[in-house]
This record gives sequence, structure tokens and C-alpha cells, in this order.
Amino acid sequence: MQHGIKRVSLSAEAKRLKLEKDKSKIAHYKQLTENIFSLRNLQTYTVESLKETTQILQINPEFYTMWNYRREIFEHLKNNIPVEDYAQLMDNDLKMLMVILKRFPKVYWIWNHRRWCLFELVKINRVDWQYEYAVVSKLLELDSRNYHGWQYRRFVVQNMQIQATTKAAPASKNEESLVVLGINIEEFKYTTSKINKNFSNFSAWHNRSTLIPKIYNLYLQLEAPSEKSPDVYDIFKSPRSILTHELELIKTGMYMDSEDTSIWLYMWWLLTEKFFTDELRKEDGAYLAVLEEQLANVEELNELEKSDHIYHWDNCWCLKTIILVKGLIQQEHVKTNKSSALLTQDIKNHIQALIEIDPLRKGKYLDQLEGKASIIPIL
Amino acid sequence: MSETEEVKAFYKEKHIAFVVDQDSHRSFEYWLSEHLRMNGLYWGVVSLVIMNALEDALPQNEVIDYILSCWDEKTGGFGAFPKHDAHILSTTSALQVLKIYDNELQVLGEEKKEQTAQFIKGLQLSDGSFQGDRFGEVDTRFIYTAMLSLSLLDELTIEITDPAIKFVMACQNFDGAFGMLPGAESHAAQVFTCIGALAVTDNLHLLDDDTKLGNWLSERQVLPSGGLNGRPEKLPDVCYSWWVLSSLAILKKKHWIDLQKLEDFILECQDSKDGGIGDRPDNQTDIYHTCFGIAGLSLIDFEKYNFKEIDPIYCMPTEVTKKFRKWKK
Repeated sequence: MQHGIKRVSLSAEAKRLKLEKDKSKIAHYKQLTENIFSLRNLQTYTVESLKETTQILQINPEFYTMWNYRREIFEHLKNNIPVEDYAQLMDNDLKMLMVILKRFPKVYWIWNHRRWCLFELVKINRVDWQYEYAVVSKLLELDSRNYHGWQYRRFVVQNMQIQATTKAAPASKNEESLVVLGINIEEFKYTTSKINKNFSNFSAWHNRSTLIPKIYNLYLQLEAPSEKSPDVYDIFKSPRSILTHELELIKTGMYMDSEDTSIWLYMWWLLTEKFFTDELRKEDGAYLAVLEEQLANVEELNELEKSDHIYHWDNCWCLKTIILVKGLIQQEHVKTNKSSALLTQDIKNHIQALIEIDPLRKGKYLDQLEGKASIIPIL
Repeated sequence: MSETEEVKAFYKEKHIAFVVDQDSHRSFEYWLSEHLRMNGLYWGVVSLVIMNALEDALPQNEVIDYILSCWDEKTGGFGAFPKHDAHILSTTSALQVLKIYDNELQVLGEEKKEQTAQFIKGLQLSDGSFQGDRFGEVDTRFIYTAMLSLSLLDELTIEITDPAIKFVMACQNFDGAFGMLPGAESHAAQVFTCIGALAVTDNLHLLDDDTKLGNWLSERQVLPSGGLNGRPEKLPDVCYSWWVLSSLAILKKKHWIDLQKLEDFILECQDSKDGGIGDRPDNQTDIYHTCFGIAGLSLIDFEKYNFKEIDPIYCMPTEVTKKFRKWKK
């Protein structure tokens, strides 16, 4: 699979020259492969055979069978060497993997082998999740959207929490919650820093959306919540205070780049997520007030964008959001019998306008106009 | 630019030659790709069968012999290459190719069919998910390939599918789309595997309201190229012509994107000189993008290209998949 590599058309002569040059590399690679398969056939599980697999995996880290053989070797060596030596072998592998990962950050097999090594270290009580935490931060510096990197980060964080809650001597429930909360607050701050660096990092927004209810619930379990990271507690006092804080955050982003889809998707979550809306609905008119305020904000931004546009067109994402928010307001009115229909003429006009400025998705808008698709999608 | 849009050609004969020639490339890179050979074979066979060129272009007996030579008798699955270990990905590709040739999988025989089914069932974990092999990598890709493989073997049972699907549903995010694991960011290829798993096991009804998901999928189409990306704020890539469009097709929402623009984008990614399709215009071609570009074109308008119709759930011709029984008797 080739991604992002410019096509080069080789002449017949250039092709011949490349093949000529490849010959020795191919011979070496095939020899190495054959050697390893025969070693495996003979059930050789030695440090020497390990070195052979290192060689080939450094050339081709996608050769999954070689990772498998490597793990088989470890499984055998483990029973025949002191535990310190085995821990050392695993540490060596983690170092080697780091080098390979920098070259091949999107190869599943490498990430998977790293996980395997860590669980081996867990079994002998030698794992250092803090170190892994630093490693993954470094890798996400190189590519802040790496899908594997973010998943690995969640995996490390999850294991840090497991470790914190399964100590030999059980700590008090409060103490445990404090540690777990601390870890999650660090993660929350990490998403803030990634977002501040680049608002369109949706991977960070995604993580933030999963952390918010978690942190809120962890605070609830504390005996003295206001004492733990008071600055963060200020935000997490209630779903309401979180919502206010987050809406303020995205407002900045919206004005910075109104075409950025990440911010809008996150805003839609804030305005429709039960975690927030259930709380708002407890107070008469509170949800409507938030919706009205956000509508006013987005309409204001849209006016600004319109005045900048040569044909005075609406801004696409402003308009999409205006439709959603008006729909949500209408839904509240329908609930309280102040209105009977969700799809008002006003909303229909907006959808008509969207067909003009976002023709790619015309088919969806027509479905919405005909009532075949909802304007306020729920999960 | 001229007033009338230039009509772009589809280079069928060159693509056929490109696919057939795959096996005659003997560069260093070719040897480095042995671990993908079974998938490569599947991508090649699907490209050819969709273009109605399979019979003439590839000798069936050689294809079948190759697949059988990748059988891993230790585990009962298929590896990517002779002597390579069995993995769920290569096993699925092997079964898909064999099934394109023969719905009854006679070349496998009852014993091997049974062993393959056992190999796959043995990869299911207690939370319903599937690992790719015994070394523990878990991903919704493996649930899809497990459901698919078992359905090709007529081995689906609700004892297996119910927990698997429960796991799939736990991977749905606030944006309506799916990730590789619970809590993981939404990704178009993972959406395909999750929706595909639901569809194979007749569980699409679990998506009460698929508007949000359809919405997310339709937002993958970006300008100016008209191509589809895999996540918000990422570049378009031909392979998402398959992952996104097939998902929309399964949800009966293909019309939620501009198919003409997508078609133009795929055609633009062809190599008009040597055949094959790349991820983006003027980029290096490969068999993977060639397959998913052609599969995408089949979903857009198979009749126009004189292609076979493709099944969005299986990425195989519908004339093959319509014979599937899927469930264990």
C-alpha cells in the first residue's frame, strides 16, 4: 500500500538498473528469510536466532510471522534465564521498537509487539507505564493525528489507572480516586495543549469528549473535591460549568477558522449530549437559553463571514449549525406544545440555501426537506 | 478551461495488465511484500472479476494452488504466503477468493473447512471481540473479518455474533461513527468494518437512527478534489471511495454525496500510461488502491463501465454473494 508517494515513471533502462542494484539486497533478504524459517523449523529458541529476527524486522517490520517467531523465542527463553535477564531483553525490545516506530509509525504489527512486551513486563512486575507515557507523547509530537499513537496513549493511560487501583496494599477508595482523577486531569490538560496548538486536531477533541464525563464522575467520588486541582475543579463543578467553559473555548476557534470541521462537530456534541442537556432540563428554560445564546453567536459570525464573501453567501458550517440549533429549539417548543412541527419554513429556507453553497450533499438536504432524514440527528 | 467538462477515460485494458503484471515485478519491494500477498491476490482477483476479466487474465488452477499452499496446518488458518503463519486477515482473503470461484468451497473439503472455522472461532475473546491471531491484537477489523469468514463457511451462530456485535456497538462515538476499539476515534475504514459486521449478521436495525452516521460519512467528501477522506481535517484518498461509499450504500444513502465528483476523482487517480490507481492524483499506484478504486466505480455506476455489480458488505460481486447461506444449519 503506497500512501502519499509521488508517481515516478521509470524508463526501461532505469528499471533494469534498479533491478540490477536490487539483486544483492534481494539475495541477502531471501537468504535471511530462509535461514530464519529453517531455524524455526528446528525449534531453535536462542539469543542468536533472536538476532536474526531483529535483522529482518529492521528491514521489514511488517513481516508478522517474524514477530511471531520472535515472541516464541522469548516464551522459551523466559523459562531458562533469570528474571532480570528477561526484563533486560524486554527493555531492549522496547528500545528497538522505538527506533522502528519512528520510521514506520503506522505499522500495526510494531505497536502490537510493543503491547505484548509490556504485558510480559507486567507479568514479572517490571513495567514502567510512566516511561511509555513519555514515549507516546514524543511520538504524537511527530504526528499529532497519528491514529495508532492516540490509541496507544489511551491504552497506556488505561494501564496506568489499572496499576494505580490494583496495588498490593489496597489504598482507601478516596486515595484511589485521587490518583485516577489526577491521571485523567493530566489527559484533559494534554488535549487542551494539543487544541491550543492546532484547533483542527479532532483526535484531541475526541479524547476530550470521553474525558469530560469521566472526570466529572471522579470528582463526585471525592471527599473533598475542591482540594484536588482547584483550577480544574472550577470547570468541573457541574455539567453546566463544563458546558460554559467548553462553549467559550470553541468560540475562539470558530472565529479563528470557521471552515474547521472539528470545532463544529464538538459544538454539536456539547449542545446535544445527554450529560449536559439532562442537567440543563432540570431548570426551567435553561436549555433553551443556552441554545438561543449559541444561535445568536453563530448568526453573528455568519453575518461577518457573509460580508467577507464576494456573493454574500452564508458560511457553510455556520448555516449547518444554525439549522441544527434552530431544530433543537423547535424540538423544545414541540415538547411544550408551543409548536407542532420541527421543520419550519425558516429552517426549510436555510436548507434550500445550503443546497446552493454545499451542493456535494444535496441529496441529504433534499431528504431532510422531504422529511426522510432528521435535521437533528440523535445517536 | 473549456466550457464543457472533459470526460475522463477508464483505462480498463491497462488496469488488467497492471493487475496481471503484479506477480512479474521482481524488485526489492516485491520481496518485502510477501506478508501481504494473500490480500494482494484478493485485491487483484476482485479488480479483475469486477471488470469482467478474471477468467481470461488469471489461470484459476494457479490461484487455487497458491491459496492451498498457504494453508497453515498447525492452526487451521491461511497465511499470507507459504510458510507464513495463519492470520485472520489472510484467512478471510483466501476464503473470499475461493468463494468467488466456487460457492461450495469444494477444493477445501469438509475437514479443512471445519478446521478453518475452528481457527476463527478460537480467536474470539470473552468480551465478544476477536484477536487477529494468538498474539492478542484486537480491532474491529478482526470482528468484521471473523463475521465475514464464518458467513462464507456457513458457520454463523448467534452464540458467536451476539457478543461480537455488542462489542461493535460499544465502539460507536458521539459523532455517530465508529473506531477500532471502545473509546477510539471515529475512522471511516473502521466504520466500514463495524457497519459491515452489523450487515453480515443481519443486525443493522441496532442503528436506531443512522442519520448522524450518514451525516458523518457524507462530510467525508471534500473539495476541491471531490474525493473522500477517512477522518475530519485529513486528505482525501481513493481507498475511502470504498470504505465510505460502501458504508453509505449499506445505509442506503449513496445519494448523500456527489457521486459524479467522486467518480472524477477516482478516474483522476489512474495512471493513464502504465495502468493502476493511486491514493491521489499523480501518486504511485498499487494493487490495493486499484481494487478499491474499481470497487468504488462499481458502486457508483457498474452498468456504465460494463462492470459486475459489487456487494457493499462483502466487496465481492453480488452474483457471488447472493448465493450465501451465512448461518449454520
